[in-house]
Amino acid sequence: MTKEKFDVLIIGAGAYGLSCAWWMAKRRSGARILVVDEGEFASGASGRNGAGFRMQWGLDLNIRLCQESTRFFETAAEQLEYPRGIELKQDGYLVLAHSEKALAALKGSLEVQHRYGVPSELLSADDCLKMVPALGRNRLVGGTFCGKDGTISPFLLLDSLLKACRREKVDVRYGTRVEKLERNGGGFRALVQDGPIEADKILLCTDWAVPELLASLGLNLPVKSLPKEAIVTVPCTPRVKPILISLEHHISVNQVNRGSIVFVVSRAREGKEIASTPDFLAFASQKIIDLLPGVADVPVLRTWGGVSSLTPDMQPILGETEIEGLYVAVSSFRGLMTSPAVGRIMSALILENDTNDPVLTQLTPRRFKTGDLIVEPLLNQE
Amino acid sequence: MQRSIVIIGAGPAGMAAAIEAVRRGCRVTVIDEGPRPGGQIYRQPHPALHGEDFAEPSELARKHRLIDGFQAVIDRIDYRAEANVYAVFPNGEIHLAQGDRTEVLRPDAMIIATGVREQAIPFPGWTIPGVMFAGGAQSILKAQRVLPGRNVVVAGCGPLPRVVAAQILRAGGSVAALASLRSLRAMLRYPRSLWCGRDILREGLRYEWTVLRARVPQFTGYVPVRAIGGERLEAVALARIDAEGRIVSGSEREIACDLLAINYGFVANSELAAMTGAEMRRDPVIGGWVAVTDAFGRTSVPGVFVAGDSAGLRGALVAECDGTIVGAAAAVPSTAVDGAALKTNLAATMARRTRHLEFQQAVRATLRLPDGIWRIVTDDTLVCRCENVRFGEIREALESGHRSLNAIKRNVRSGMGWCGGRTCLHAIASLAEAATGQAPAEMMTPRPMARPVPFAAIARQKRAAAE
Repeated sequence: MTKEKFDVLIIGAGAYGLSCAWWMAKRRSGARILVVDEGEFASGASGRNGAGFRMQWGLDLNIRLCQESTRFFETAAEQLEYPRGIELKQDGYLVLAHSEKALAALKGSLEVQHRYGVPSELLSADDCLKMVPALGRNRLVGGTFCGKDGTISPFLLLDSLLKACRREKVDVRYGTRVEKLERNGGGFRALVQDGPIEADKILLCTDWAVPELLASLGLNLPVKSLPKEAIVTVPCTPRVKPILISLEHHISVNQVNRGSIVFVVSRAREGKEIASTPDFLAFASQKIIDLLPGVADVPVLRTWGGVSSLTPDMQPILGETEIEGLYVAVSSFRGLMTSPAVGRIMSALILENDTNDPVLTQLTPRRFKTGDLIVEPLLNQE
Repeated sequence: MQRSIVIIGAGPAGMAAAIEAVRRGCRVTVIDEGPRPGGQIYRQPHPALHGEDFAEPSELARKHRLIDGFQAVIDRIDYRAEANVYAVFPNGEIHLAQGDRTEVLRPDAMIIATGVREQAIPFPGWTIPGVMFAGGAQSILKAQRVLPGRNVVVAGCGPLPRVVAAQILRAGGSVAALASLRSLRAMLRYPRSLWCGRDILREGLRYEWTVLRARVPQFTGYVPVRAIGGERLEAVALARIDAEGRIVSGSEREIACDLLAINYGFVANSELAAMTGAEMRRDPVIGGWVAVTDAFGRTSVPGVFVAGDSAGLRGALVAECDGTIVGAAAAVPSTAVDGAALKTNLAATMARRTRHLEFQQAVRATLRLPDGIWRIVTDDTLVCRCENVRFGEIREALESGHRSLNAIKRNVRSGMGWCGGRTCLHAIASLAEAATGQAPAEMMTPRPMARPVPFAAIARQKRAAAE
């Protein structure tokens, strides 16, 4: 068995793992970095989500993470030297309220967004219908819209990060599953099929699967898995220009450039299953027609599933664990849209012990022990 | 309690399975895409259409005997014509769309008898209108009774291109060239097979005679390497290729035509079987990925059977025997399948199937594609027509280390379009094998929908009460 040694081992090659690796490599600190992933390219949650990014949140930290990330997406092609681009589309996000209570939460969030300079605005139900005539009028009371929110191609973001990482000599290996972590003097040993990998520092970017690896070191973190399912239609005429989110329906809608409409539909479930469930299609179709009667005639092309992470306060977890040198970055279902900012913050923390970003205090893994949970007003409506 | 069986597909295997399962007292549902039973091979024209059929009389007799047998029991079958199964699940649920609504069935057993589709090897210009599958051209003759082209070049491997050429001639068309990758002489190495298949062989020789008598120029060892034309096909360049897939210099010749009918063998319609979670294996000669089945068509998933060509290409005669055997096995509890009684009961059909299978050994020899054939695909050849993906992009993804069909798909979108990869995935698997020396280990993860269905129809869903 060969023994390999690295300065930093990142486990998980999704948006968080690859972004953290690239930001670390960009510092040219000479650190030897290895990223391993048990699956193939883009086979986890980062390759399975609805592709959206938005600054419309109700909590300062989410707004700031997404503002920084949005600026990155706008210039990703240059920064990552990826001329093909990542299919950035900024047609805005329309967040819909179907009750006065939901509308009140949207208004409250709007105030916070404006404090940070997010160009979002309040829309009446009529404005919403004017913007998206395919919408149903039933119970719709209004919404908020931000024209700078949008979508990217998850595959292209991951591919651009992968190529940029490899250019910077980051070793990225797919099909490499870490079975167990052990402490090894001041550092760590990760057991994989080909033999142990030694690393001074480890960053876990396996999202909902983080507890499994932490358990091998006697730690626990209250992260659960939340399976979600998505639907994509055949390409059709433009019907939904902005991305839609309905707080009541638990649906997001994104019509991509080639005309297909992508729906991510959430329902309370548990488990780690990515296979489509038998009763999903009928359940989702009824909700989708209620939200958007104008798409009832559109044929469904395919369904797929993905698993995202869920934390007790529905916020990400970023920072060092109780074990020195062992770090976690858990997305709590917004990994793709926050990955640039998280990459920068985590790389500064891990390589330079820079703890200045206030997000690190708010999102520390220690908050579950101290009880300092954070509330995101918009999410509590969902 | 009457056993419920759902059969997907009403070709030879599906019809034979239905006849047998009804005979054994089961409650049978047959779901088929076509307006009339028969499948691809026994496709029936619209009843209002008259005119000659250009197939061999003995072949037509087989077709009508089976269709008549099916019609005789159709009153006792819940027969769903023009219905699509768009998903099946490991729990045994079958989701089908018919008209403007959908329905969920959950029978005691399902028999997947979805047949095969034709395989294409993409080459420059293959998407020009006027290039089509040989079987597709034959379907136009069979179902619509019109000539698919006036001046036709037929190319590919195996028996089908030769049959299609003969039928076009019999229908009054002209065949400008017949290009075969392999000579049918390859079959002579299997004398025992030929003896077992002598009836079919006789039909084949009659088709050969039609082609010979018409003095059709024949090119053995040639493939179409370029289709020429803009809005419509004008000509095709045929050439010999060497073991590396390079065009043998000086062998290229252009032949004017308005239709190029190609067939490079078949790909199994195995997506539904894979969706049930059944164990799959890959054999490019008999249809790419097919479910692993035993002699009774049982897959690794209890209650899920596969019959006929969708379990691997073996032709209509085997499919019919297979349907009877699988229909009988699905009609009894799984424990009874392993008993001696059923085997004894089916002994004659099993012997017949063995004999027909023996003949398939010889057919297989004509279907094996030569090494290097996939190298005719150039970087700018369109491989995935739905998403406009050219081979160059796929080659780059392979070179970046993305070797599985799922990973290639996530990189270049091949297989993400309308057809769900039905047209291109097996080609991509073979292209990957040619480029890297190793075939992808798994098929692209099959997911609902096997066919697109509108939201409105899915929302109007009838769900059978649990049994």
